[in-house]
Amino acid sequence: MGVSLLEFHVLLALASGALHGYAIAERVAADSGGTLLPRAGSLYRVIARLISEGLVAESGGEVEVPHPGLARRYYALTASGRRTLGDEARRLKQAAAAAEKRLGLARGRS
Amino acid sequence: MRTFLRFLVRLFPPSFRAHFGAAIVEHAALDCERDLSRGRLAAFRSFLLTAFDIGRSAFSERLRPSWAAVPVEKEGTAMSSSFNLDRGGAELRHAVRTLRRTPGFTATVVGTLALAIGTIAAVFTVLDRVVISPLPYAHPERLVFVAAEAPGSEMTGEFGPAAEFYLQYKEASRRLEDVATYGTFTNSLRVGDRVERVRMAAVTNSLYSTLGAQPALGRLPVASDGDRVAVISDALWRSWFGADPSVLGRSYEMAGASRTIVGVMRPEFQFPNDGALLWVVIEVRAEGLQPGRFGYNVVGRMAPGTDREAVAAELTALARGLPQRFGGSPGYARLIERHRAVVRPLLDEMLGPAARSLWILFAAAAIVLLIACVNVANLFMVRVEARHRDLAVRRAIGASRAQLVRLQMAEALVAALLGGALAVCFAGLSLPVLLRAAPAGIPRLADVSLSGRTLLFTLLAALLSGVLCGGAAAWRGASPNLARLREGGRGSTRRRRLGRDGLVAAQTAMALVLLIGAGLLMRSFLALRSVDPGYDTRDVFTFQFAPEQPALKDGPSWARFHLDFLARLAALPGVTSVGIVENVPLDEGTRGDRFRSEDMPEGPDSGRPLNWTFAAGDYFRTMAIDVLDGRPFETADHLSVHGNVVISRSAAQLLFPGQRAVGHRLQQQGQPAWHTVVGVVEDVMQYGFRDKPQALLYFPLVGPTPTSWSITTPAYVIKTARAEAIAPEVRTLIRQVAPEAPMYRAYTMAGLAARSMVALSFTLLTLGVVSALALFLGALGLYGVLSVVVAERTREIGVRMALGATAAAVRRMVVAQGARVVALGVAIGLLTAFVATRALSGLLYGVDAVDAPTFVAMASLMLMIGALAAYVPARRASRVDPCESLRSD
Repeated sequence: MGVSLLEFHVLLALASGALHGYAIAERVAADSGGTLLPRAGSLYRVIARLISEGLVAESGGEVEVPHPGLARRYYALTASGRRTLGDEARRLKQAAAAAEKRLGLARGRS
Repeated sequence: MRTFLRFLVRLFPPSFRAHFGAAIVEHAALDCERDLSRGRLAAFRSFLLTAFDIGRSAFSERLRPSWAAVPVEKEGTAMSSSFNLDRGGAELRHAVRTLRRTPGFTATVVGTLALAIGTIAAVFTVLDRVVISPLPYAHPERLVFVAAEAPGSEMTGEFGPAAEFYLQYKEASRRLEDVATYGTFTNSLRVGDRVERVRMAAVTNSLYSTLGAQPALGRLPVASDGDRVAVISDALWRSWFGADPSVLGRSYEMAGASRTIVGVMRPEFQFPNDGALLWVVIEVRAEGLQPGRFGYNVVGRMAPGTDREAVAAELTALARGLPQRFGGSPGYARLIERHRAVVRPLLDEMLGPAARSLWILFAAAAIVLLIACVNVANLFMVRVEARHRDLAVRRAIGASRAQLVRLQMAEALVAALLGGALAVCFAGLSLPVLLRAAPAGIPRLADVSLSGRTLLFTLLAALLSGVLCGGAAAWRGASPNLARLREGGRGSTRRRRLGRDGLVAAQTAMALVLLIGAGLLMRSFLALRSVDPGYDTRDVFTFQFAPEQPALKDGPSWARFHLDFLARLAALPGVTSVGIVENVPLDEGTRGDRFRSEDMPEGPDSGRPLNWTFAAGDYFRTMAIDVLDGRPFETADHLSVHGNVVISRSAAQLLFPGQRAVGHRLQQQGQPAWHTVVGVVEDVMQYGFRDKPQALLYFPLVGPTPTSWSITTPAYVIKTARAEAIAPEVRTLIRQVAPEAPMYRAYTMAGLAARSMVALSFTLLTLGVVSALALFLGALGLYGVLSVVVAERTREIGVRMALGATAAAVRRMVVAQGARVVALGVAIGLLTAFVATRALSGLLYGVDAVDAPTFVAMASLMLMIGALAAYVPARRASRVDPCESLRSD
């Protein structure tokens, strides 16, 4: 099952512990170097899908970034989510290595 | 704002909303607070994007649900399963089904909306790129353009400051961080064998720091380079040098000197407009500066936290010290006393009148969209009436009001979104047409194309239209009159009729405002075309070329060269006469200096400021400029120093008031020679048909000494019936006498005349098209409403006819009903136009913004169209067969 870029980044954001939605958005923006700036609507759709697929679960548990105000929902990786994140990271690494190799060859020839 | 967000979130399916709705609202609100720190505009933009994202996500969520968790319990009462509307997407599915069942209705609604939304989307695309989006420089809101005015002095209106102003500003201003001055001109660029006259700009090195611009390649000029370096535009780099990076460091002939290219600018650096292909250096130094040479363009960057008024006040005060520092005549000192600095946003200066034309167009397109929405709203209203029984039944068996409203709104929204999707295609098709019709000289127009912002705008316009179209019907449909279930659903209520008539009156009023606007522009256009500019633009071809022959170094040999070429041109078949002028009207301006007659005293401020040019051949005859007294130039005037001059009527009045000018002498300030007036000719309008005819002096091709005029390139004018087609033959002739010289600024005078009016004709054309659309939609709306009224009143009409009413009486009754509504609309429209046409005042010519004949004519046209639209249903009414209509029950 494929994971979209934004989904990958949401999983990645949760890799170090449970976060609430706003913190996920900030973490995604930071991890992607500002190239991914998910807005509220898109972000929660992605979260909803990840929950539906069992990769993410709502957690009542430990709070990493406390934030005053509303009682928030926190989201955390499930075991399957952690596995998917790992698989996807390996896949990306292989793809990146292949790309670099091929580009390197092309440059060497010219 | 949260209320709005909560409303938006309602677009999501309920199960999704129940789980994530509050989080989305909270998240978006936090985003907004964060964005507010980046300025209100940025926050607003970001908020729009967030709203759009929520809408889009909700839509996708309904199509492809990502939330498969346990559905939440239903809110509200249980409903019979036949129309359980609470499940996600049910309204939408229902709406799509209804719309598909009535293809004619759907096509009309979607088509009308697509046309109107597409029009406004195309206009928005242009407006957004040209007017709204900021200049591509750092902190563009702090960039200002500085001009000068000196009310009560001999400099009328607004004018460009002189070089010493720039120096003073640069050295002493605290409120301007950085200042630059620049000018644009056309001169030759030679690269190998290729020589062309191109637009270029001469700028101080501070221009780049003022704008905050960096080169894409190479570096910017620095003070130690002197003026023998240049930077080139991305466009020139690609077209002339094939984007070759090795161009840096090479030297080419630009503007009469060899200059080294040190940098290539980025594509978005188009200063002052996209016409400038390269930038050479001007150095402004205080030493040896002659004060009072006005006409420079000054651009500055305001320091943070200051505003334009404060800058203007500071610059005005700084200029007061100029005479003390730079000297100058007493007249200069007097002018400085009255001088006031004018400071405005750089973007305003660069856009000029284009911004206003585009806003007017946008307003017109918005009105058309409103009219279209009113039409569609009326159609939905009629449909709700027709479905009254159905709605009443649903209400009776337990559907809530909110559900009925949603049912109606979903239908309107689906139709509007379909219309919006089509509108994008329509905008894509109409945009190139709009761009082709647009006048030259609108900056940034070349980069206009459909963008993400267009799509966003179209979506918002479609959603808004959907709400407007469906709102009235939803409101009506939400409270069906249950009593009418019993009655059998007949009869029309007064409230309903008032609503529909109000809508028709409103659209009539809006269409009339547009019609009056178009009418006023039409009258201005006709008035401008019939202006007598002092010359005749028909059948005249003009061009320039710049022979670079070393032999042409003094006045007489240069004059002889051009006179010889004139003779060759005159020999071309079909040529009636030919002439030369230094600055051809409508294309170039003339130079100004002070001149005095022998009766006027000598001194720096004596005499009159007058513009001058030079002319030869049959210039006056070719342009049909009347010779009022004396004679035009003869060939002998150009070949040796006679000191003869031809002056225009106003110049004669200014220099020799109350006397016959011919035979008198005049002198240019700072020149020893006197010139004898041999002829007086009519004034001409040099810049355009809106200007006053200008006083002008014409000198022969040779001055009092062989080198007294700098040798420039004159414009040739050829009177021939073949003005449109003669260019290739002229080019051949040029190649014979000067193979290396390019021909340029080749136009027909008629073409130049059209160009000078293009801002008006563009607005006229587009406003004309848009108001015709409005008129059509308005008439359609009236027709539709009256048709429905007639259908509803068939029984009543039948009874009337059975009781003896004639067909003519029935027709009159229906037409009168339509006429009342239209008359009300016309009255409102006239009042609105009274105020609204002021927006056009800058474009109008020879006609008042509240021109009575135009108002009356357009109001009559509107009434006539209204009567026509009413007549068709009226005829149908008069053909009602009383027996048929009474039997139908």
